[in-house]
Amino acid sequence: MIGPRARSRRVVVAVLAAATLALPPLLPPEWQSLYVFIGLYAIVTCGLSLLMGFAGQVSLGQAAFYAIGAYAAAIPAVRGAPPALGLLAGTVVAAAIAAAIGVPLLRLRGHYLAFGTLAFQLILLTFIAEAGDLTGGDIGLRGIPPLGLGGVQAVTPVEYAYVTWVAVAAVFLVTRNVVRSRPGRALRALATSESAAAAAGVPVAAYKVMVFALSAAYAGLAGAIYAFFLSYIAPGSFPILLSIQFLVMAAVGGLGAVWGSLVGAAVVTLVVQLLQEVGSLPGMPTQVPAVLSYAVYALVLIVVMLLLPSGIVPALTARAASRRRDDAASTEATLGDDARASRLSSVP
Amino acid sequence: MTLFLQYLAAGIASGSTFALVATGFVVIYRVTGVINFAQGVFAVLGGFLAYSLLQAGVAHGLAESLAVLITAAIGLVVGLVALGRRGTPPLASLIVTLGLAIFSYAVVITTWGDHPISYEGLSGLLAIGGVSMQRQYVLIVGAAVVTFLALALLFGRTYLGMALTACSSDQRAARLMGIDVWRMGLLAFAVGGGLGGLAGVLLTPLQPVQFDSDVGIAVNGFAAAIFGGLVRPVTAFAGGLVLGVAEAMVAGYYRSSYETAIALAVMLALMLWQASRRAPSEE
Amino acid sequence: MPEGSEPLLEVHDLVVRYGAATALDGVDLAVGRAEMVALVGPNGAGKTTLLDTVSGLVAPAAGRIELRGRLAQVPEGRRLFPEMTVEDNLRLGAWRVRDRRVGPVYELFPHLVELRRRKAGSLSCGEQQMVAVGRALMGQPDLLAVDELSLGLAPQIVDTLAEHLQDLNRRSGMAILLVEQNARLALDICSRAYVIEAGRIALTGPSEQLRNSPAVQAAYLGGAYEA
Repeated sequence: MIGPRARSRRVVVAVLAAATLALPPLLPPEWQSLYVFIGLYAIVTCGLSLLMGFAGQVSLGQAAFYAIGAYAAAIPAVRGAPPALGLLAGTVVAAAIAAAIGVPLLRLRGHYLAFGTLAFQLILLTFIAEAGDLTGGDIGLRGIPPLGLGGVQAVTPVEYAYVTWVAVAAVFLVTRNVVRSRPGRALRALATSESAAAAAGVPVAAYKVMVFALSAAYAGLAGAIYAFFLSYIAPGSFPILLSIQFLVMAAVGGLGAVWGSLVGAAVVTLVVQLLQEVGSLPGMPTQVPAVLSYAVYALVLIVVMLLLPSGIVPALTARAASRRRDDAASTEATLGDDARASRLSSVP
Repeated sequence: MTLFLQYLAAGIASGSTFALVATGFVVIYRVTGVINFAQGVFAVLGGFLAYSLLQAGVAHGLAESLAVLITAAIGLVVGLVALGRRGTPPLASLIVTLGLAIFSYAVVITTWGDHPISYEGLSGLLAIGGVSMQRQYVLIVGAAVVTFLALALLFGRTYLGMALTACSSDQRAARLMGIDVWRMGLLAFAVGGGLGGLAGVLLTPLQPVQFDSDVGIAVNGFAAAIFGGLVRPVTAFAGGLVLGVAEAMVAGYYRSSYETAIALAVMLALMLWQASRRAPSEE
Repeated sequence: MPEGSEPLLEVHDLVVRYGAATALDGVDLAVGRAEMVALVGPNGAGKTTLLDTVSGLVAPAAGRIELRGRLAQVPEGRRLFPEMTVEDNLRLGAWRVRDRRVGPVYELFPHLVELRRRKAGSLSCGEQQMVAVGRALMGQPDLLAVDELSLGLAPQIVDTLAEHLQDLNRRSGMAILLVEQNARLALDICSRAYVIEAGRIALTGPSEQLRNSPAVQAAYLGGAYEA
């Protein structure tokens, strides 16, 4: 049954989708790559938000899977494999590695898991830097061919914007279905109380690994697009700070809120970009861009987290829900938000 | 053999600084439940402050002590911001500390620039049992051990320390006694700031610091702290030493580019082993 | 309540909300000096919330609390600091007051003297409850609020502790607010009682009167007779 709210929501989503696709050619050139990056970051953040908000697991090393996706796509492509296969390879390899390391790693809980994922990324970066024959080592891989299928090639930022945002749509669709599925509901129980979920017969360990692999698949897909888009990758492209940035995007948008990942990615990316532009205006001393972007980025982060500790999107939906108090549906929405907020405090 | 002992000495020295940073993580986490990712920043600021004080002509010893005191005060400010309003969830506080760490980059670059700095520590070598080692190593280990004992006294023997422990043990019960958990949290941040600052002051003569050196310091300190579950200072201290020695051995006998990765892999393997022993019935 | 004297604790029209849920909805309650008052009610009725609000842990949404003296709470589940010794637990109870001498508590519970160096977490439940009461007494309260004295304890231990509380009340005139699910116990040792249900005071009066009320008998005392 489709109620009036659901119908209006569909209209909103359709308008948003149309606007998203119409936007790239209209943007000034320097904003087009930014548009690509927002999409890529939204994909990674969506997976992280799913992992943290719904499965209650923390990852401080999500950029590792972004890197794996990028290398898994780029290594065959520079050796002549069809680039389009790279998107598949990036996604699948990242998911497979996550599933493999997830089995032992996800036995760790809370802070231990956070450390485990962080350590995994640092170890991976060392490996990439040292395995020069395969990965190009510290210098990186150059000359990654553009993405293409048959005779069609994506070269310009606008074309990559389309590739990226189609991927965003696919990822959001998958996420929405996962969240609404039976396992998805079980996962929500997992985030609230692992032992209760286990007692109710939820195969906790297997589900955790599945969500971990899914979040890695998203990061891998985004990483693959990134590699083709920039045509150059190196270990330095995937620092711990990038993982932290993903975490920040997820938290700013709001954990467990699918749309939150988009809002978080957009807000953080735009803030950083804006600052760099202001800082590099002519006449500014050379250190200004760095100082300004660090300072304002940090301040935005601090203010958002102190004022809206559960993230932007949950805070907005909570406000909307309280305005609709009389509406019968609001009770459910409010309860959902309360549960999400409490989960945020329980995630270490 | 001599080579081995020299690596060991270097490892224990750098491990002692990790242990100090780790203890800072533990003190703050125990009392407030917040993982303070600005922990490495205290070390960086400690190094820079000591550097400036020394440049200004303040005598060795005094300059370093002042730097540690100032980082303790900075720790207090970090705590004030990170703890926010009462009821701010720990994850929000964690991200706020990340934000403060990034903010410190802006402060350091504006004040000191983006080049690494260093200063002279204790110069000269000390021969112990046929092994000669830098005096600075001995200073670091000595300072770390004394600090650790002082902390043990603070937490185990003083009334204030008991109140801090009470906050980490059961916040609700502590509040019922009338203990101001929030203020105790600030105190913990100040202690954590001082510990980080001390680590930085001691480490800077050995390896130059720059504005973003905090990531490496924090990762090592966090690894050592997590070894003790973030709550056991003794284990965290031991974890710091293990990590320092492991890194020194890898760097000495193998390749220095692998030092952090292998040390982290060892820590991770130990943790996984612990986890598999703890909960075999879960699967 | 004795006429004429100002009550030690007065709660007027207290409202407490957690998010959208209302935990207390217009609660009135008073405890006179040297009085023993019971607060009984089912799980989730708002008993602990009321205590926490009076203790200052929870901020009320509306209403007024007047406390003319010091209050100490023995929390539900005892909540000792398990890795600290018994004596350190007791001394922390004196955080608000300057006097940290533990002698008076040992006089009251001589059994604790031999346990003083033991970790609180290693004690039996009954011993822990003694420490919890002792720790609250270290704060030199005028009003001692005891949350679920009997929870998880063997009947004879409950009786001993209850006697101690009555003793304290008789000898030093300490007022006691006993929050209990075990209504029989509460009504036996307190002179007056409140029955709280779903965040409201449903009934109040002298214990004798409540004990004979058919409603109270059915809801709170019925099962106990059969058991």
